[in-house]
Amino acid sequence: MTKIDPETRIPDPIELDRIEEDRLRAVAGLAPMRSPGGEYAGFDQVGIPDRPPQTEREREIYAIEEGEMLINMGPQHPSTHGVMRLLVKVRGEIVVDIDPVLGYLHRGIEKLCENATYTTVLTYVDPMDYLSTMHNEHAPAIAFEKLYGVRPPKRAEYIRALVVELNRVFSHGLMMGFLALDMGGLTPILYAFINRDEIVDLLSAISGQRMLFNFFRVGGVNFDTNDEFLSRLGTWRSNVMKNIEMNERMITDNEIFRARTIDMGTLSGQDAISLGVTGPNLRASGVPFDVRRAHPYSIYNELEFDVITQPGGDSYARYLQRIAEIKQSIHLIDQIIDKMPHGPVQAQVPGIIRPKPGRAYAAIESPRGLYSVYAISDGGPNPYRFRMRDPSFISLQAMPKLMPGRLVADTMAIMASLDPVMGGVDK
Amino acid sequence: MEHLRRPWPAAHALGRRRALTAPVAAGALVRLLAERLEVDLRHLWTDEDTVEYQVDAARAHDVLRTLRDDEDLAFFMLADAGAVDYGTGERFEVVYHLFSWKHPSWLRIRARVDRADPRVPTITDLWEGAMFHEREMYDMMGIVFEGNRDLRRIYMSPDYRSFPHRKDFVLPDDAADSAAAGVLPLERPETWDLTRFNQAPDVTFPPSDLREDAPAEAVEDGETLGDKSRPR
Amino acid sequence: MDFDLLLGVGRFLLATTLLLLLTVPTAFIIIQMEMKIIAQMNLRFGPNRIGPRGIFQSTIHGFKVLAKEDTVPDQADRSTFTLAPWMVYMAAAMSMLVIPFAPGAIAADLNIGIVYFFAVLGLSVVGLLVAGWASYNKYSLLGGLRSAAQMVSYEIPLTLSIVGAVVLAGTLSFSELIAWQLEHGWLLVWQPIGLGIFYVSSLAEVNRTPFDMVEADSELVAGPFTEYSGMRFGFFFFAEYVALFIMSGILVSLFFGGWLAPWPFPAQLGGFGGTLYGAFWFFLKTYIFVFIAVWLRATLPRVRVDQLMGMAWKVLLPLALVNLFITAIAVVVFDL
Repeated sequence: MTKIDPETRIPDPIELDRIEEDRLRAVAGLAPMRSPGGEYAGFDQVGIPDRPPQTEREREIYAIEEGEMLINMGPQHPSTHGVMRLLVKVRGEIVVDIDPVLGYLHRGIEKLCENATYTTVLTYVDPMDYLSTMHNEHAPAIAFEKLYGVRPPKRAEYIRALVVELNRVFSHGLMMGFLALDMGGLTPILYAFINRDEIVDLLSAISGQRMLFNFFRVGGVNFDTNDEFLSRLGTWRSNVMKNIEMNERMITDNEIFRARTIDMGTLSGQDAISLGVTGPNLRASGVPFDVRRAHPYSIYNELEFDVITQPGGDSYARYLQRIAEIKQSIHLIDQIIDKMPHGPVQAQVPGIIRPKPGRAYAAIESPRGLYSVYAISDGGPNPYRFRMRDPSFISLQAMPKLMPGRLVADTMAIMASLDPVMGGVDK
Repeated sequence: MEHLRRPWPAAHALGRRRALTAPVAAGALVRLLAERLEVDLRHLWTDEDTVEYQVDAARAHDVLRTLRDDEDLAFFMLADAGAVDYGTGERFEVVYHLFSWKHPSWLRIRARVDRADPRVPTITDLWEGAMFHEREMYDMMGIVFEGNRDLRRIYMSPDYRSFPHRKDFVLPDDAADSAAAGVLPLERPETWDLTRFNQAPDVTFPPSDLREDAPAEAVEDGETLGDKSRPR
Repeated sequence: MDFDLLLGVGRFLLATTLLLLLTVPTAFIIIQMEMKIIAQMNLRFGPNRIGPRGIFQSTIHGFKVLAKEDTVPDQADRSTFTLAPWMVYMAAAMSMLVIPFAPGAIAADLNIGIVYFFAVLGLSVVGLLVAGWASYNKYSLLGGLRSAAQMVSYEIPLTLSIVGAVVLAGTLSFSELIAWQLEHGWLLVWQPIGLGIFYVSSLAEVNRTPFDMVEADSELVAGPFTEYSGMRFGFFFFAEYVALFIMSGILVSLFFGGWLAPWPFPAQLGGFGGTLYGAFWFFLKTYIFVFIAVWLRATLPRVRVDQLMGMAWKVLLPLALVNLFITAIAVVVFDL
């Protein structure tokens, strides 16, 4: 290959921009925009923006001391749970500070729903937390029923609880897989996806979809159970306990896994409540708050289950909590199948409902925590304000509290144990 | 269908007060709140599962502190903090939902915020987890939380100037036409220092036959630099 | 001319050529094994399109690596950038010279074969450091340093663990060690602790899971190999799998009898048939250990860097020293 003399070659247009920018900055007395590291161009290194910091927190995170540097765990990343950017300030291998930058998956669902009828809203909320779709639909359905003043029939409530608990089983199973994957174990994620596949085939028999189910309606559910669904449910139920135990056995007693999760990211109960962390993360820190027991909705008053907690508060406890909840959900599914009454599955509700003006708040227990919907109706066919509170969004605030002092390799492990899903975070 | 409807209507007109119609358990909470926080809270509504109060924005922080710290009230968990826009000329509302072990109902606190100057004291000192809620409310509605250490945009890019959830925000096509009322310096172009770009560069690019130099269009004062590609 | 010398040189050249030719198919086979075995353990198929049941996938990977564009970073030091993969590959190839494939089929039957082997293996550390430095990339540099630290730390327990075996057998030559095992039984019963330490350290030396934090560090960057593409990266890639094969081969030679067949088969046969017989057993045992390494990769998560280094210095090294003391005392006391 001929050697091109850097003096005579034609510069790339991008380089022309850079030359221009650097020249202008030199004229203005600013440092060049290229990496302040000088010769060594780290492609992930973040330059400190030359504008003044907008807030105190920005000032804090952009204050680089000797030996520290800012790196991105950027939006394109194999291990963040969706598109999220983590601005990490490290000193060598130790994380000093961390700042999540969100919004890469923001779709404006809340605003979109103001222009959609109430039934359409239930389809818009599906892809929020796309691993727990039934929960995403459950809360708005309850809120709209409160606004409209209709109670779904008993059978519909039982079917709702059934699919919701099935959803919880596979969502928690996937968390186990992601946690192992972020630590380098290649196999548990595939087992978790096999579990999910079985359940998703089950749910496709009842709702027609495999992922974004569009199953709930204001006043009930869309379809009744059918023979296909019941037969698959029976097959699934006879295998699931064995499968779950086989999958968890591979990780739970694994020395390497334990060494990487025990005493990592310990969150105390008080901190968790203050941070707004709910769901299995909160219960793993010892606080027995479960929306299904604290403020019962649907038919959870009629079902027998305890609120499980773990004493640790570390990543291992969060992992054990989810396994315990999988088993609890399977127990709940048994009770639901046992007690399911006959009857209609949807109240007679028109396609476009116009509830009287008012407000309603509905909170449910999603696999990530307390998922709630606050809906305001103005009497028209579209909701006036549709606000969702997503649990992963709030749980992400635990990251800057848990990470400092840990190694970079633990960032992904701790985040996987908090189990955020970016669809919910970014709405 | 009557057997499927609830025995009492669940809805009422926006902003109108209603008398107590709810079960006894909620009544205990209402009486307690009337006793402790009569000055600040105005009782609006009681439902089978929610008790609703209204408060002025300036008093919101103290009221929430009392609700959290008082032993009989003990609303330890902030379940949700969201914002509502009632239209141009009306007010904003910041709506807090709280939970307590001692009371079976959700407590909804609606804080009236002036739309022209939307300022609310922050509650991040009470609940750290309110930080993201407040950032989202700022990002989407433009409500400024005084005392918040990190009031940046969270979903939109840091130099985005409009507030999408407001009722006068037109759809994204015309985001440039929406009322731009950014608060942080990065969102206000009038604060940007552009003088350093006023010099003509030494590097002259060779004239391109393909590029036509479009004449600069005059922009009148007060007009946003919107998209001129179609008549509005 | 001395005919023996000429014959010796000719034999050496032939052996070296055969070895170098052996490395590439070995790497291909191990890569194919890895893809298919991990896939089966993950309850999926793995490559099944190229060739019957996908057996040519690895070969096509090799051709693909040849066909990729060869990029060198603009400000990188071109000569050292090119040198680094050679160094790593040469470390692997040179260490193959002393592996006892079969009776009479060792390329260079040195009487200090063990010392030579571990000395040459250390060359790969230099190669990684050079790769990290020559890439003109801060993260490659850090990755190279980390990898070098890991490999250097684990070399110490690695070498100490076999000193016990050497003391027992009284020789540093591989073929004599295997001859000792023929008489006294396989060294795994004499040196179980040494075997354990050696196995763990060998996995860390080759950067295999669970010790592959350096190269699978996809949390940040891809380690010292970030800027390499095409055949340069191919060299690194192959060198890693060949090193795995070599380590397994040495493990088998030291502790599992090398080319000796287990009971109830006759341990060693004579003549050319004996060479084939020994080679068969050697390769079988080596590939069993390669399979175990691949199995470990499918099963275990990664150990964190500080836990890894802590284990080397605080656990394996003292254990290796204890093993050495016990062996030495036993040799003196029992006059072995």
